[in-house]
Amino acid sequence: MIQKEYTFDASYQPQVRTKTGTTNIMLDVIIALIPAMAVGVWQFGLKALLLIAVSVASCVFFEWGYRKLLKKDNSIGDLSACVTGVLIAMVIPVGAPWWMPIVGAAFSMVIVKQLFGGLGKNFLNPALAARAFLMASWPVIMTTWAVPAALSKVVDGTTMATPLSIMKAGEPLPDYFSYGNMLLGTMPGCIGEVSAIALLIGGAYLLIRKVISWRIPVSFIGTVAVITLLFPRHGGFFDVNWMLQNLLTGGLLLGAIFMATDYSSSPVTLNGQLLYGFGCGALTVLIRYFGGYPEGVSYAILIMNLCAWAIDKGTRSRQFGVSKEDLKAAKKAAKEAKAA
Amino acid sequence: MPFKFRGGVHPDYMKAPNEPVIVVTPPPQVIVPMAQHIGAPCQPLVAVGDYVTMGQKIGENPAPVSAPVHSPVSGKVVAIEPRPHPLGDMIPAVVIENDYQDTPCKDMAPLTEEELKDPEAIIARLREAGIVGMGGAMFPTAFKIKTGLGKVDTLIINGAECEPYLNGDHWTMKLHPEELLRGIELARIASGLDKAYYGIEKNKMDAIEILNSKDPAKYGVEIVPEEVKYPQGAEKMQIKAITNREVKPGGLPAGVGCNVISTQTAYAIYKACYEGVPCFERILTVGGSAIAKPFNLQCRIGTPFRYIVEQCGGFVKTPKKIVLGGPMMGLIATNLDAVNIKGTAGILFFTEEEDRTVKNPTCIRCGKCITVCPMGLEPVYMYAYFKKGDFENMKKYHILDCFECGSCSYNCPGRMPLTHSFKTAKLLFAAKAAEEKARAEAAAKEAEKK
Repeated sequence: MIQKEYTFDASYQPQVRTKTGTTNIMLDVIIALIPAMAVGVWQFGLKALLLIAVSVASCVFFEWGYRKLLKKDNSIGDLSACVTGVLIAMVIPVGAPWWMPIVGAAFSMVIVKQLFGGLGKNFLNPALAARAFLMASWPVIMTTWAVPAALSKVVDGTTMATPLSIMKAGEPLPDYFSYGNMLLGTMPGCIGEVSAIALLIGGAYLLIRKVISWRIPVSFIGTVAVITLLFPRHGGFFDVNWMLQNLLTGGLLLGAIFMATDYSSSPVTLNGQLLYGFGCGALTVLIRYFGGYPEGVSYAILIMNLCAWAIDKGTRSRQFGVSKEDLKAAKKAAKEAKAA
Repeated sequence: MPFKFRGGVHPDYMKAPNEPVIVVTPPPQVIVPMAQHIGAPCQPLVAVGDYVTMGQKIGENPAPVSAPVHSPVSGKVVAIEPRPHPLGDMIPAVVIENDYQDTPCKDMAPLTEEELKDPEAIIARLREAGIVGMGGAMFPTAFKIKTGLGKVDTLIINGAECEPYLNGDHWTMKLHPEELLRGIELARIASGLDKAYYGIEKNKMDAIEILNSKDPAKYGVEIVPEEVKYPQGAEKMQIKAITNREVKPGGLPAGVGCNVISTQTAYAIYKACYEGVPCFERILTVGGSAIAKPFNLQCRIGTPFRYIVEQCGGFVKTPKKIVLGGPMMGLIATNLDAVNIKGTAGILFFTEEEDRTVKNPTCIRCGKCITVCPMGLEPVYMYAYFKKGDFENMKKYHILDCFECGSCSYNCPGRMPLTHSFKTAKLLFAAKAAEEKARAEAAAKEAEKK
């Protein structure tokens, strides 16, 4: 018989765990963002690449620096700072000066994320919070849109209006904003939001890798689609063109696929995610129709972020073995007990 | 068509090699613990120096929830003393020096034709043969069937074997299909039912075909191929899959008219009734990355782990953990001198390779624990309230209804100790309840004095 003595560890079950760790998930998000980044660089030039690089580097730096300063464990290995870095660059226009992502990174990493406890504890989406901060601080820079490479021959000058601001003014879209261009990404806009196809490819990748579920994106985009289809802003009813223009322009796809699905600032219950997506969609349309800005995706998501925990509490799933009748009976008993 | 349950995970199955079961020569000394079941532990019936035969009853307790133990070999009793039990602690055990004669005990004869049709005779035999739930729960089968009489309308045999690594049941189905069907038939007759359902996961199609070729209808058995998903083999999931009934929180399977027994138990029932052989042997899987040759072994109860490891070629890497049963729900042993008991479905020796825990588990609120929870609970909040020590909210989030399948912990990318915490929380609740009870009793005494 084996004579050698071994020491054994004790631990509760389970003794095995899935391969997918936090780092794998974050890496998948970065991979899913590559098509959108590629379109950004293709249309807006190397300046876009520079902004992405500065943003990622400064996010990683601030996360590392904060945790070093407070003598906490180093957490940059989980790549979540890189994801935020890419996303911040995605939601600023290419005309932004090189130092702007650094300010955004400092705000998102230190104030939004680390002050509340770091990964998983932030109640706002760090990238969108940074965008809101930059928008409030430098509104002109944040709403000046460079002409994308493909439109430089059609449009005079170096800046132009986005389709959404034209739509907000109630004017018809010029011919060069065709559906093909919207899908491909030859539109003015933030670096990462212009190409619908690139974003959908990224979304499909995330769904296949089970990083996100369909619930938030589908209910978000679906809500916007239904409302804009049934109630076009210029009056009338059932306007397919108006709906498609609303879906394919602005930051809707970027927001629905990459921002609203942010784990720590969205609800975790299954029904809660549907409700949250619906709220995001409804608020987006409300801001686009009645708000001061042409675009409402980022504020819609930030507002719904604040409701995430409340939504979680109100939308708990059915427990195994508890039928609807059981729940009703329990409610009735509780009411009677209260009355007595 | 089997009904589906919500949630669940698809772990790497890592099943042991598809080779027939190896019959292990019993060790020179067997150590038979007196507690191999849920309920009252046995009192030894033999003394040091006695000669015992193979299958002789060596421990018993008259309590209704109990099961006698039998000698797995013939030979001399050399000691009756506390020995390491696989589930920790030192438990009284009978140590028998094997004389390698395997002289059979004549106390238990096969049941007669009439007795095989008599529910009472079968139940008495199950009790006498010491049969317990051999899937791991080790609940005395005779008591389970007896208390279910009149309440239970569906008998389910659990052949899901959803745990990774384990495939002892799979091999039992392939090697002993007829015996299994007969065993199930006996359990069905004992329960007073016309039909039993045998739920088997679809990753064992070869076994399902073999069983179906033996005309299961003749024995009143229906084979139900089930979806391959952990924890399909959990009692509540089996009941849901076959009857679409859901056991109420805190309720028992009998509450929804179901009894579930495992494949190995059905096989043991066959042996006890048709061959007159009590429960002193079982088929178990030995695996894990530390083991040279993972195998399914047919092994006597009371064989020390050291001996079992040697039968499988010894260790190729330094083992870090001994897991009893499957890796998802299996408990941990920490002593190589412990022995296999009736409920040991597998012994896995894990090294650092299987260990995916991290230094700083961090919840990223991804909600993957919620999507996999088969009970429809919210592990992320249960954990948060556990961390806060908020007992009221822990209860509100049904921490006590978690049956510790481990799916949430398995699926957690942040490697949070979820199942671990819920188990701890349950212990805290039990301790709190005991404390409150003691306080109430003391107060009542005080009041009486006044």
